[in-house]
Amino acid sequence: MPEPDSKSDGDLLHEWLRESAAARPDAVALIEEERETTFAELFAQAQSLALLFCEHGIQPRDRIALALPKSTDAIVALFAALLAGAIYVPIHPRWPRERVDAVLAECEARLLIDCESAPPRIADLLTGASIAWPAPTAHEADLARVPQVSPLRPGKLPSMRSEDTAFILFTSGSTGQPKGVELTHRAVSAFVRWTAREFQIVSGDRIACPSPLGFDLSTFDIFNMALCGATAVLVPDYIVWMPRFLVQFLSESSVSCWYSVPSILVGMLREGGMAAHSYPHLRLILFAGEVFPAPSLAKLQAAAPAALCANLYGPTETNVVTWCRVPPSFDGSQPLPIGHPSPYAAVRIDESSGELLAGGDSLMRGYWNRPDETERRLVTLDGICYYRTGDRVSPASDGSYLFIGRLDRQVKRRGFRIELGEIEAALLSHEDILEAAVVAVEDEQKGVMIAAFIRLSVPSALTLADLKAFCGRRLPLYMLPDRIVSLDAISKSNRAKIDYLALGKMAERLKHGD
Amino acid sequence: MEIETEIREFVAAQYLPDASAEAITDTMPLITSGIIDSIGMLGLVDFIESSYAIEFMPREIDVHALDTVERIASLIRAKLSGRKMDVSLA
Repeated sequence: MPEPDSKSDGDLLHEWLRESAAARPDAVALIEEERETTFAELFAQAQSLALLFCEHGIQPRDRIALALPKSTDAIVALFAALLAGAIYVPIHPRWPRERVDAVLAECEARLLIDCESAPPRIADLLTGASIAWPAPTAHEADLARVPQVSPLRPGKLPSMRSEDTAFILFTSGSTGQPKGVELTHRAVSAFVRWTAREFQIVSGDRIACPSPLGFDLSTFDIFNMALCGATAVLVPDYIVWMPRFLVQFLSESSVSCWYSVPSILVGMLREGGMAAHSYPHLRLILFAGEVFPAPSLAKLQAAAPAALCANLYGPTETNVVTWCRVPPSFDGSQPLPIGHPSPYAAVRIDESSGELLAGGDSLMRGYWNRPDETERRLVTLDGICYYRTGDRVSPASDGSYLFIGRLDRQVKRRGFRIELGEIEAALLSHEDILEAAVVAVEDEQKGVMIAAFIRLSVPSALTLADLKAFCGRRLPLYMLPDRIVSLDAISKSNRAKIDYLALGKMAERLKHGD
Repeated sequence: MEIETEIREFVAAQYLPDASAEAITDTMPLITSGIIDSIGMLGLVDFIESSYAIEFMPREIDVHALDTVERIASLIRAKLSGRKMDVSLA
């Protein structure tokens, strides 16, 4: 069991991998279907790629965009970026081109690594040059095996500090442009070290997290693998959408620790037949990103009675800041609290609004290149810097917190954050759409139903299929409106502001088929 | 009825209530365009599996394979011919 390190560089994420590779070179670090990669192989591949980056002229703090599914190659690339002192920026390979371009421009990425071909393609966006992927193929990996990993850093790789930024995660922005949350090694380390201690992650654990790399949940499996010498079992991209495939994966892969958004688990329970199988190795189920419907949570405990279940709470800007162990006696009749603060977190309530303010070691550095937005969301009180979560909470009698709702127009779908303003901005970029207003209402099956109301320059200028296709070119799938309704006029309040309350009522009626 | 027509009618009825089945072309993206969302994909798979008495395995279906009427139909045909082969071998 690794203990928190008092040395200043004990929080460097790539150094964890170096140490695990030195301590357990032949242990399996990654499993991707049939492909197994040992710690020695993973570190050797990441280091050769890092050296190539440096030879190519990559400087500390340069941004390396990873448009890759969560694969062995992606994990090699992200550790290579960190070893080279660069900042990695995950991009979902299925995001529409326009969003990818917006993110690349926003973070001024120097390199783009994508999976248009195998092995991955590395393009220098500044010079137009390309770098050949050096990692050996699965067969060559055996030959290129490095029996001993040198604990010394090759001279060409820069020396980094835990205050340096490790990666940038892009989330939905209300003005229409995604914004980048900049996270340091130290911030990620605070969360990972705590989970390793609290949930006793050990080298024998097999950890699975079906979230993509751009999701903060992916810090759990990848960096606990590096820190604790555990095995990260990668969930193939093509099964994540299908509950019964996920259930099959969970029952056959001997996973011991699972971390996902509640919707994935709810899907596995409802449509995947999760209760019909047994999971003798599964000892820990963590979930975060959205509210877990209490009745389904009781069913989850019944389906995996040996597993400890815990609700983790925190936005991308702070990662997890509060958590709650699900009591074994939980019957689903009451909502589950978001719980008590994690030991590294500072949490308080803004008395006037009921908003949860969260800070501490896991807090982001800020939004990449957005000092105004950073200043708007971070507030210093009594010498402590807090992020305004926008989440309204209430304190329970035992000192834990209960989630009440949002203070703004952000909604969550399958754990993904959606700023309704971003959907409006996408719709308004169409020349035939004069006005757009988007609302979300609760929906039992989908979690939320998103309805877009638009006013067209010429009525019936666009079909519903045209509109959906237009949105599909600009927004990720999880952000696409479920209903798009063309109106002659969009309801306004007396100050000529869009009347979202009235539109919400219309959306409720739509949901019921009116 | 032709497989393409059956798929078109199902998609129109379920996911594009204001459109006719003919408006859905064979190559029109259905999932990557947002016409069918992730919950809808499960409904589509259910429909295909129960209508044609087939069962898909993990590697056989994904967003790409289910994105157009054309691809769905060829997927079903491949699956049906595989099943017939199994039967004849038995």
